[in-house]
Amino acid sequence: MLPYLLLAPALILLLGMVYPFGLGLYYSFTSYWLQYPNRFRFVWLDNYISLVEEPLFARALEFTLGFTLAAVVIQVGLGLAVALFLHARIRGRGAIRALMLMPLMMPPVITALMWKIMMASTTAGILNYLLSFLGIGPVNWFGSTEGAVVSVLIIDTWGNLPFVALILLGGLQALPSEPYEAALVDGAGPLATLRYVTLPLLSPFIVLVVLFRAMDSLRIFDVIYATTLGGPNDATTNLHIMAYQYSFQWYQMGKGMAQAIVLLLLVVTVSYLLMRLWNRAAESTV
Amino acid sequence: MTTAAVTLPTVHGVRLSRHLRQVVIALAALLLLAWTVFPFFWILLTSLKNPGDILAVPPTFTFSPTLDNYAALVMGEQRGQYSSTRPDFPLFFLNSIIVSLGSVALSVIAGIPAAYALARFSFPFKNGLGFVLMSFRFVPFIAFVIPLYLLYQRLGLYNTHAGLIFAYQLITLPFTIWMLRSFFQEIPIEIQEAAKIDGCSWLGVLTRVILPLSMPGIAVTVILGFMFCWNAFNYPLMLAGRQTFPVTVGAIQFISYEQVLWGQMAAATIVAALPQLVLSLMVQKYIVRGLTMGAVK
Repeated sequence: MLPYLLLAPALILLLGMVYPFGLGLYYSFTSYWLQYPNRFRFVWLDNYISLVEEPLFARALEFTLGFTLAAVVIQVGLGLAVALFLHARIRGRGAIRALMLMPLMMPPVITALMWKIMMASTTAGILNYLLSFLGIGPVNWFGSTEGAVVSVLIIDTWGNLPFVALILLGGLQALPSEPYEAALVDGAGPLATLRYVTLPLLSPFIVLVVLFRAMDSLRIFDVIYATTLGGPNDATTNLHIMAYQYSFQWYQMGKGMAQAIVLLLLVVTVSYLLMRLWNRAAESTV
Repeated sequence: MTTAAVTLPTVHGVRLSRHLRQVVIALAALLLLAWTVFPFFWILLTSLKNPGDILAVPPTFTFSPTLDNYAALVMGEQRGQYSSTRPDFPLFFLNSIIVSLGSVALSVIAGIPAAYALARFSFPFKNGLGFVLMSFRFVPFIAFVIPLYLLYQRLGLYNTHAGLIFAYQLITLPFTIWMLRSFFQEIPIEIQEAAKIDGCSWLGVLTRVILPLSMPGIAVTVILGFMFCWNAFNYPLMLAGRQTFPVTVGAIQFISYEQVLWGQMAAATIVAALPQLVLSLMVQKYIVRGLTMGAVK
């Protein structure tokens, strides 16, 4: 009895959150226009069906998955490189580590605004100015479809690379030293050691950062909202932005909620698959 | 650069290869530093420029600095010919503090007993409950914000601090419970048993043993929870109005149909970022643990 009593305040608050969610689930089966309350009626799966038939839905799904894949690959790849680099006891490691915390806890929307200032498409933009020294001609960052996708990727990577790097660095520092001594005795070179000792031992940490980064990338919103709002020409519209547009730009709450549920199902599926992978990785390295 | 690397006999000349190695390491460190710090540096410069210098081609590093942008923030209104946007930044800053503090306070009050129960008692559905709490970390916010928006309109909670504090529980409550649980579990169970033998009830164990011993952990949880609230953008974007906007929503108000007020927006991002930079120095050892809800220590 006592544990439930202790949990009661938190459970009441939680219930206060589950209730609106349940309400929203119900709305996803209704035709709910905010401006036309009279049209409210139960429509079964109509919202979901019309959603899937929407041409934009396929594109948004494709962008959501493609963006997530690209973000995870780039950020985990670079993050691993940074972690290995910092693990090698280079001079000034402490300072670099401390400075890398700065982007980490920035509000994502503020990060996006900072880059928006730097990514001005004219030659007044500092990023285009710096790139001009490398012979890269003025990039139309947010105005072109490819530019917008690349911009969102860069901004998201700047904010989250430290997260990946610091977790993997912590993992590297926690690894036992015996396998390395054995590899040294066997005459393994640095690359072989990385491939056959470090990466397998590090795999639980790698799967963990992939899990966190994939979950956050699937539902990325702040950065896109503050920079491109899904444009140009819907090139950066993901499922989350699309749900926002349905509900808060066109006030079709039912359809927006259906979209939100679809996104939720996608997130749950991906996280379930990654969790299983994590358990397997954790078991194999006990 | 490339020609030099090609002509150096890196494999055979030991000394040369060691120098080259050091140069490569230094360059990589420099690149990493520039990538991390330059955006802050540039935004700080931009915030100190007047409009003419901001639009200079090519971008200028030398200019006569001005505090006009910060003054405009503090005055709560923009100068210039366009009056459709008047972001009231001091109010937004105050809103951020009120809502973040309120959310953390509520979460800690409800979270301490819950975390204690999860850390020290066994009961049916314990693991399931822990999993449900964890799953809130991964739910797309729009799934909550649509029904909350509709409910708040009816209940009069729209555009109120209380409404935001309640919505922010989605961010802070699961986080607080998981973090506190992981800190409570670090306290050796023997101390608790000793206190029980001395006649302490569960309440005595909590108030005289667990809480005093985990004060640093509670402080870390409070600070990190405050920072997560400070970062929140999408809940207040839909659930707050001009009187209750926090700094994150406030900062995008400098983008309007007529123009983007680059200088003031830069100043606003600096002001919005400052508490985060200071606080993250205070809890730097625990940030990774906080971001993974205790999964990585």
